[in-house]
Amino acid sequence: MSSQPAKGAQKEFRKRDLFYLVPLWVLSLIAPDPYLYHKKEFKRKDLYYLGAIGLAPLTWSDPHFHHVMVLAGIYAILALGLSLFMGYAGQISLGHAAFFGIGAYTTAILTTRHGFSPFVALWASVLSASAVAYLIGRPILKLKGYFLALATLGFGEIFLVMVRESTDLTGGVIGIFGIPWFSVAGFSFDTYLKQYYLIWGVVAGLFIFSKNLVRSKLGRALLAVAASEDAASSVGINVPRIKLEIFVLGAAFAGLAGSLFACIMSTANPETFGLGVTVPIVMMVILGGMGTIYGPVAGAILLTWLMDILSRYQEYSLPIYSIILILLLIFFPDGIGTRLNVRILYLIGYWAKKRKRDEGKL
Amino acid sequence: MSLLSIEQLTKEYDGIRALDRVSLKVEGGSIKGLIGPNGAGKSTLFHLISGVEKPDSGKILFKKRDITNMESHERSALGIGRTFQTVQVWGNMTVVENVMAGMHRRLKGSLFSYGLWLPWIRTSEKEALKEAKEILNSLGLLGKWESTASQLPYGKQKLLELGRALAMKPQLLLLDEPASGLTLSEIEQLSERISEMRQKGVTVFIVEHHMGMVMEVADEIAVLHNGELIAEGKPENVRRNSVVMEAYLTRGSAGK
Repeated sequence: MSSQPAKGAQKEFRKRDLFYLVPLWVLSLIAPDPYLYHKKEFKRKDLYYLGAIGLAPLTWSDPHFHHVMVLAGIYAILALGLSLFMGYAGQISLGHAAFFGIGAYTTAILTTRHGFSPFVALWASVLSASAVAYLIGRPILKLKGYFLALATLGFGEIFLVMVRESTDLTGGVIGIFGIPWFSVAGFSFDTYLKQYYLIWGVVAGLFIFSKNLVRSKLGRALLAVAASEDAASSVGINVPRIKLEIFVLGAAFAGLAGSLFACIMSTANPETFGLGVTVPIVMMVILGGMGTIYGPVAGAILLTWLMDILSRYQEYSLPIYSIILILLLIFFPDGIGTRLNVRILYLIGYWAKKRKRDEGKL
Repeated sequence: MSLLSIEQLTKEYDGIRALDRVSLKVEGGSIKGLIGPNGAGKSTLFHLISGVEKPDSGKILFKKRDITNMESHERSALGIGRTFQTVQVWGNMTVVENVMAGMHRRLKGSLFSYGLWLPWIRTSEKEALKEAKEILNSLGLLGKWESTASQLPYGKQKLLELGRALAMKPQLLLLDEPASGLTLSEIEQLSERISEMRQKGVTVFIVEHHMGMVMEVADEIAVLHNGELIAEGKPENVRRNSVVMEAYLTRGSAGK
């Protein structure tokens, strides 16, 4: 259906354009349309994705690839949590990196100073991040739109200042070094390959958890809150509570990611938890597609790879990076994974119109 | 006994009295209509009953419980469903999900039981889907169950909103101008649905501009004018009431 051009555009269509269509059409088969009800169920397709993730490091045994994918996985966990809050509940948080930081510092302090095992520290990180989110969220989530964005942004900055100033606890600007590898029951994740499976195993688990949430009563309630809070409370949805629940859940994801990050990088310092992390996560959610669960994961992989590939261009990397982001947002405003069918039809129409315009001018 | 009773309800906006000591009763199992010219305070009264706003003084009793200061979602949990004057379906969801979201209160389970998709969640979600499809079938929307709610035409969205409210299994259903913006045939269909509700044991309280429809479906009608209740009774009596006639005839100058 999508390989056929629109009726009016048929004459202007050149054969060459079909070559663009083929990959786009293939992509559209893979990419889910989030609005269809049955598309929210698990499918065989999900198993293929899982298989691809599982087999990729075996066929591609470059340690650098493993490491980049580990970072992508950590970003994916962060983006998943944020996507529930932003893409589904329709709220904004620009302080998500603070919960990431809280997770990392909890692990760093517990393992290096108090001799806890990383596994115990992981759970402590999750708990501390969600506890802070609960305390912050209760007053802050009454705000909406820009005000919520500013308040969370402020929270992120306050966290950074506190980390930099309380030198005794966090090591100040220098941070904490020598965090041990993550280990469970004596098995230490000390190579990039092992870490790859650790991280992507966690991502897979959280992905299934999030997807279950989204296709259930809770997902519907979140979407309802995003669309109309009045209507949501008219069917008995407790709006402030559900916002708080999902905020805390997102923070728990971030705390988990922070803990794993600290173990993998073996350091924790304040530079890693500022706006430099928040903005990419928000970009991953938006670029991947708001209101999908595949979106943030795809966005995380894409952006992490983009940053890695562009880093060889040194000082030009950021301008190129931003231009690519702007182009992606112009051509895929719904996100790279969302509604590609619609996108294809749009592109066909765009090319056809452009050709007409050019011919008219000549 | 009466399901909903309103006692001496008063609400002011910046010194303007939108409602002035209004007392009303809605009997269980009946259909009650509320009419009045623009600016009479009909919507204000609805907002007070559904909890979007709080009254300055007076009391609202539902099933003999004082709900005057309850939050909106707590009232819905007690069994008050409503639709909105400007249609408010959730356009970011499919049609069937809109109805299923209406069952929010009836589906139990914590965040973790949903995330882990425990066995009882699986069955309850399946049953919810089945029931939602039945509701859509009764409203004639089943053919579009998987399309996005925002893609439906306006009349169908209004029906969907009704379906969502019905999915709550409410005891009292507040309909805020359900016929506005509908075509004549759609209005007919709607009044059929409303009459059906009486058989299901749902009490309906309906605000409407479309006089013909209210007169047809309602058992009793109350008339508001400038925030005061000026008449109450059977449709045919209200129609003949001279005070009501006057209020409607002079409606052009009533706001001044």
